[in-house]
Amino acid sequence: MDTQWPRYEVFKQDRPGEPHESIGTVHAVDAEMALQNGRDLFARRPKCHSLWVARADAITSKTAEQLAAKELATDNSWQADIDPQAPTETYLVFQKQTERRGMTFTTHVGEVEASSPVHALQQAIAIFPAEQVFVWWVCPASAVTRSEEADTLPMFAPAQDKLYRLPNQYRTVFTMQKIKRGKDVIE
Amino acid sequence: MYGQETDPDYPTKLAEFEARIARGEKIEPGDWMPERYRKQLVRMISQHAHSEVVGMLPEGAWITRAPNLRRKQVLLAKVQDEAGHGQYLYHAAETLGATREEMLQALLTGQAKYSSIFNYPTVTWSDMGAIGWLVDGAAIMNQTMLAQCSYGPYSRAMVRICAEEGFHKKQGQEMIIQYAQGTPEQKAMAQDSINRFWWPTLMMFGPHDSASTNSDELTRWGIKTKSNDQLRQEFVNELVPLLHALGLEVPDPDLRYDEESGNWISGEINWNEFWQVVKGNGPMNAARLQARQEAHDNGRWVREALAAYAERDV
Amino acid sequence: MNAHHQSALAQKLLFLADDELILAHRNSEWTGHGPILEEDIAFTNIALDEMGHAATWHRLRQELTGEEVDTAVFFRDPAAYRNVQLVELPNSDWAFSMLRQYLFDVYELVHLAQLAASSYRPLAEAAAKIRIEEIYHLRHTAAWVTRLGLGTAESNQRMQAALDTHWPYAHQLFVEMPEDAVLAEMGTAVSPTSLLDEWQQITTAHLTQANLIIPTNHTPPTTDRADHTDHLTSLLAEMQSVARQYPTAVW
Repeated sequence: MDTQWPRYEVFKQDRPGEPHESIGTVHAVDAEMALQNGRDLFARRPKCHSLWVARADAITSKTAEQLAAKELATDNSWQADIDPQAPTETYLVFQKQTERRGMTFTTHVGEVEASSPVHALQQAIAIFPAEQVFVWWVCPASAVTRSEEADTLPMFAPAQDKLYRLPNQYRTVFTMQKIKRGKDVIE
Repeated sequence: MYGQETDPDYPTKLAEFEARIARGEKIEPGDWMPERYRKQLVRMISQHAHSEVVGMLPEGAWITRAPNLRRKQVLLAKVQDEAGHGQYLYHAAETLGATREEMLQALLTGQAKYSSIFNYPTVTWSDMGAIGWLVDGAAIMNQTMLAQCSYGPYSRAMVRICAEEGFHKKQGQEMIIQYAQGTPEQKAMAQDSINRFWWPTLMMFGPHDSASTNSDELTRWGIKTKSNDQLRQEFVNELVPLLHALGLEVPDPDLRYDEESGNWISGEINWNEFWQVVKGNGPMNAARLQARQEAHDNGRWVREALAAYAERDV
Repeated sequence: MNAHHQSALAQKLLFLADDELILAHRNSEWTGHGPILEEDIAFTNIALDEMGHAATWHRLRQELTGEEVDTAVFFRDPAAYRNVQLVELPNSDWAFSMLRQYLFDVYELVHLAQLAASSYRPLAEAAAKIRIEEIYHLRHTAAWVTRLGLGTAESNQRMQAALDTHWPYAHQLFVEMPEDAVLAEMGTAVSPTSLLDEWQQITTAHLTQANLIIPTNHTPPTTDRADHTDHLTSLLAEMQSVARQYPTAVW
């Protein structure tokens, strides 16, 4: 069977200070290549300041519908997973916060300390309540690889000069109006 | 989470699912959905992804011959975008449990379809203009609709693709506008490209509504919100006046303007040709699949080497 | 700048532009045919960048000679091209193209660091800007070299074969042309010969770590940038075909 390599989720930050948002996946054999492929796929056009990548299988995802189906407080399977003695680690928490049309999915909202993905989800729901969360993601921080501050210039600045990728460089509407008014455009 | 019709709760869950869609909610990976919804989406999305991937070939053939540096950069960037669109779409299908390995296999063995427009040859430079303006213009109409579809990952991929396709369409239109007013040879070349790509572009919207088998379900489940004929009509209405303003002819002797509806009414599409190309008998079907197969075969040792590198003991 | 100096600089800009353009052409032949979709994008990006660099060098040259960029690219005969032979060799497998790009990226990075210190401001500024993109190219190609070198027996053998072919050709990049000597004396650009040690150190360390053996043959097939293989003739015949068929048209 052919291999197309494992999938990595890619999270993009447009400007410093803004949250990272999940934007899709790339196939890559390791995190370094996933960062590079994420850059080439999702940052061909401005703006990008930073990228994170994480193996898709390191992320635990629950939709609002899935959460509603299990009564959190009473569901044993939900509780059984959590061992109060187990060592904890940091998890990143992401939420899908809107149904508005757009190209990004979940948004990074913060971190929790937890002993398992299920524990992390519980913590996240308690710590980051939002009026409406459509999807929750948690991912161990150790599974996330991040572009560095020094990468911003070589990785993301060049896209700003590639103006030919932007539709506003092609003045077709204006030109058609001129033609309709009977003017010669090749002047 | 993929509902089977044999499940006793299926009717209740289906009613809830359809109510969600009617409320304009997005279905996300992990949500309950009918198995048939999943199947239809995988079929549509992977077909769409394959179209982007195969779509690199007819234009890619002209990268090395672009007549100036700017056009060369633009064409490279455009074909590159198509590889990107393929990836966005494969990703959307992957969220439904399909793997890229399986999907590519289905493409190479001819089980999966892709847009038949890419089975036509590109024989002159101005075909790059016609593909950008007509083919991508037609694709945008379909994609703008799909950007509103009920499945979250497909909708998001489409929003991203639409944003990028704007550049594809405009660079093509810019060429045709320029060539229509250029030297006599350029104008003739532009007209010839329009002549060859007009009808295949109209066929891109698919069979007439009366002959389209999948439409009802796709509409009810919020995947398609406009019919094939509706989208085709919007396209014809947009393009005809612009082509006329440029002094170019539309290669349809039966084309007429209907005062009452405000529509440009096309002559009948050659459906026999359409079905022939869909069935694999178009002028370039074999060549396109062969090119993909070769890239796949030549790349196998590369994919395997990197997989082996990742798994080695350090 | 006197006429002698100026013409040497114009010629140097042609060396830079032609290397980038012809390499970009070869890389662009991979677009749509790469080993994995991700790389159709990545390798095309490198081709696009190199093409942009060629345009930048040509624009600087235009300021000196008045020759339009597209005229220089599309209406110049193979005999007037001044690229090294390394970049005109036709693609064979992915190892061949990736390794060539890697060797060229190291050369560019080392070279551009020096050109960024040129006393000719436009050259220094362009070099500094281009260098930023090259940092990323090298990150990409160096990672690929490691992975293919250490991947499977087959990938290692293909990389070794590519290295054996490219290594002598790559050394042409460091041959001093008469124009280089003029520019070095004026402080406009370092002689490429002075870059060789650093290039060899960087590439040798990296290639060796990727389990590749450095070839002993360091002698390029030619030391004159005016010499070409017959591959350049067919490459340019294709590249210039549309432009030359309609010489009065604006595209």
